Amino acid sequence: MTITVKLIGPFVQLFGFSEKPLDVPEGTTADDLIGLVSIDKSRPKVVTRNGRAVVPGEPLADGDRVVISPIYSGG
Amino acid sequence: MHGWTGQFLRVNLTDRTYRAEPFSEDFARKWIGGRGFAVKILYDELRPGIDPLGPDNKFIVALGPIAGIPAPNTGKAVVAGKSPITGGYGDGNLGTRVAEQLRKAGYDALIVEGKAASPTMLVINDDKVEFLPAGEVWGRGTYVTNDWIYAKYGKGVGVLNIGQGGENLVRYAVVRSLEGRAGGRTGMGAVMGSKLLKAVVVKGTKPIPQADPAGMKKVGTDDLREVNRIDKKTGWSIQSTNGVLAWCNEVAALPVRNFRKTHHPDAWKCDGERLNNARIATYGCPNCTMRCGIAIHDEAGRESELDYENVGLLGPNLEIFDLPLIGTLNYMCDDYGVDTMSGGCVLSFYADAVDRGAAPGDLRFGDSEGFKKLLTAIALRQGEIGNILAEGSMRAARKFGHGSIDYAMQVKGLEVAAYNCKFIPGMALAFGVSPIGAHHKESWVITFELKQSVRESYGPEKAQKVIDLQRIRGGLFEFIVSCRFPWIENGWPLEHYPKYFKLVSGLDWTLDDFWTVSDRIYSLIKLFWLREYPQTDRRLDYPPAVWFDPSNVDTEGPIAGKHLEFDKYDGLLQHYYDLRGYDRRGIPTKATLERLGTAEEGRAAERYGSLT
Repeated sequence: MTITVKLIGPFVQLFGFSEKPLDVPEGTTADDLIGLVSIDKSRPKVVTRNGRAVVPGEPLADGDRVVISPIYSGG
Repeated sequence: MHGWTGQFLRVNLTDRTYRAEPFSEDFARKWIGGRGFAVKILYDELRPGIDPLGPDNKFIVALGPIAGIPAPNTGKAVVAGKSPITGGYGDGNLGTRVAEQLRKAGYDALIVEGKAASPTMLVINDDKVEFLPAGEVWGRGTYVTNDWIYAKYGKGVGVLNIGQGGENLVRYAVVRSLEGRAGGRTGMGAVMGSKLLKAVVVKGTKPIPQADPAGMKKVGTDDLREVNRIDKKTGWSIQSTNGVLAWCNEVAALPVRNFRKTHHPDAWKCDGERLNNARIATYGCPNCTMRCGIAIHDEAGRESELDYENVGLLGPNLEIFDLPLIGTLNYMCDDYGVDTMSGGCVLSFYADAVDRGAAPGDLRFGDSEGFKKLLTAIALRQGEIGNILAEGSMRAARKFGHGSIDYAMQVKGLEVAAYNCKFIPGMALAFGVSPIGAHHKESWVITFELKQSVRESYGPEKAQKVIDLQRIRGGLFEFIVSCRFPWIENGWPLEHYPKYFKLVSGLDWTLDDFWTVSDRIYSLIKLFWLREYPQTDRRLDYPPAVWFDPSNVDTEGPIAGKHLEFDKYDGLLQHYYDLRGYDRRGIPTKATLERLGTAEEGRAAERYGSLT
């Protein structure tokens, strides 16, 4: 299945891409995906799936859009 | 007394007098500084019902015990007064050398009273205060004024100044400092303007009293280096605050077209990546090692310093996605000394009202030339529409009628920040219960809602989180007077702040002690509102009606078909009141005031409004 990964803020510069599709096996979770794009799992971040909070352990579905963002406080 | 100079400087512009006034150690411990000092002084000294744009209002500049001392990120000051746009307590903070210079001059706060006979610049040089003519720059923008002051006194002095917006009493005029700093979006620039006070200049030479100056110097400078190291690792200041724009667009929280839409396919054109690419310079506040002010060239080739609030509200909110064009609107706001956030919301409100036939005119979303002309008309109060809009969106909506108040994006009169809460209940609550009107600085809870909670929830966990954040952001950082960004953006632990406080004051406090002060300050701000609005009730804490409107839902995207539900919001608000110890009107109960040490202030408020 294909998942679109979108990085936010400095993650773009730090991890070298802004947005890209990834082919992943069925059953892949958001946590797995974070490992696939080489983001340190201990790093504070907000991960959303189609605009909503990710449920831990929940498998992703084909066509999902996963957004990985640092934690912000606004301007 | 260590940690405080122990003195306020009280200046009267009417009779051109000034005096240093001592305050007690008990007062200092109870209110700490910044917002705490400001609200206590205003509560004790202002008669309820006064005109915020009249000579009876007071303009306060208040500092905290670590203000101006080299440590993360202490170059900030609170400006406060009765707000012209809300009629309640108003304040704001801004980065400025005044933080250091006023404390070195020997004062923890400046209280400006009365009204000058002609445009005046107040020059404070240690114990000496001069009232100098400022007619030469009256009618000029903040950039010219700042340069005029630097040419006289050099760049090391602390400066606060206003532009034409403040002079013309635009109700959301701000106070400006340094190259791109602004504060007091509750109309503090108009309060200065109403006093014919064009600028304040401060130079001090005295040591700032500290319990352990050598220890503070070592810890403060080490920590500034450490914050810089962390920032380099996290990369936060690469895109700074505008990094959040792309995220808001993804999670349907971006203000687009007067908040009618929550995301837009062109939003990427003005996101943090593009802003960083367009960067020509970087600016920051004093004592900052994670500078966040990204300047670009506007369409006229001028330097314009942008952050997320500016971009969000002067860009997508007006359906403008071109960074140089957004930069121009931002430059104009900064030069006129008009708040970019309220300015953006007022412009979008008017375009929406025209679109719906509620207001006369032909302005359309996306019309950057039209918005520029209108911004000038507002700042200079030209023409009927310019004058109406200079009053803010709430008053403009009352004038236009036709139900336009429903989409005037404000709470208590103050326009909302750039987070579209069409379906973000906790952040809508944060705007609703912000004690100065809708402002994100008090409690930015969106991240929690989308990370550790359920977006659909209206449960007490969100009300509790709003309170937790208010205690830190609207409390600690506003009374100790320091920038919240090292903590929130780069994870700088809060435990550093009691450590700094002990080094300067000698007092061994815990964070829990600070939270009590935060709650005390919030309770007094509520009493201030009660005195001004004795018939106050919970409706003052409701967000804009359009967020509850089923006909306003997104038709596609992450929150398609969703909107805030009124009864559930009201329940969330009640959770907040219950947790705070407030009554059903949102006013602290007598028992809460007793617990927080504001029972005496409560008894004073009972002459105007009831307590339960």
